Amino acid sequence: MTAAASPPAAAPTPAAPGFDDDAFAQVYTENVQAVYYLALRLLGNSAQAEDAAHDVFVRAYRSWDRFRREASVRTWLYRITLNLCQNLQRSWHQRHILTGLDDSLYENPSPGAPSPLRVLETRELGQRIQQTLEALPEEYRLLLLLVADEKLSYQEVAGLTGQTTDAVRGKLHRARRAFATAFARTA
Amino acid sequence: MHDPSSQSRLEHEQPLDARLDARAQTQPGIEFASPEEMLRHDAATTPPPPGLEPRVRESLAREAPALRSWWRRLLGR
Repeated sequence: MTAAASPPAAAPTPAAPGFDDDAFAQVYTENVQAVYYLALRLLGNSAQAEDAAHDVFVRAYRSWDRFRREASVRTWLYRITLNLCQNLQRSWHQRHILTGLDDSLYENPSPGAPSPLRVLETRELGQRIQQTLEALPEEYRLLLLLVADEKLSYQEVAGLTGQTTDAVRGKLHRARRAFATAFARTA
Repeated sequence: MHDPSSQSRLEHEQPLDARLDARAQTQPGIEFASPEEMLRHDAATTPPPPGLEPRVRESLAREAPALRSWWRRLLGR
């Protein structure tokens, strides 16, 4: 085959859809920490979070050529992460995570919940955050974790959680108060 | 007796760095304005486990042996 016989459309370009080495490397390096963190705080277990993050990138790699880029890469990876974590949680029957749910935190969060949040000892902060998140309803937990990622817009958070941006804003206010109340209880 | 107004004046007369240093010494810990800020701090200080990258690398190498080079580039090999 000669060069002249090659159709111009077939010429490979870095922007062409499909797998591109450097592009996927960049996807990994820019998102691995965020994906792992989301999985960690949703599952509450570092080994399971590592497994989930591994599976997220393998699935992303497999479907990279089908990624339409209508959403941001971060949103796409988060969607895969959420699906994976929800499947894992279902299969494990929430043996550990939902048992600590405290209804009073979201039905009657204390109006004077501490704000700002102050911690004297940061060494065990992760553990306290995990305890706090596990005491919240799943909806609040997910909302706070997603909104905390500054790379996501409210619209993207709404898309990931299947609700309107107004609903996100309204629930976020209650989720913050519930978090502050629950966090104070972990001291 | 402690005079709050003199304390306030003193703080404003000090350079910002000195005030921050003094605050860090007298008030250990971190203050977060919101749960999101706390979660961002937590996320930034929670790196993925070191074993994750080689696991993903191995899995992707099995997925598509012809497309391994990005991992080599990532690792500088």
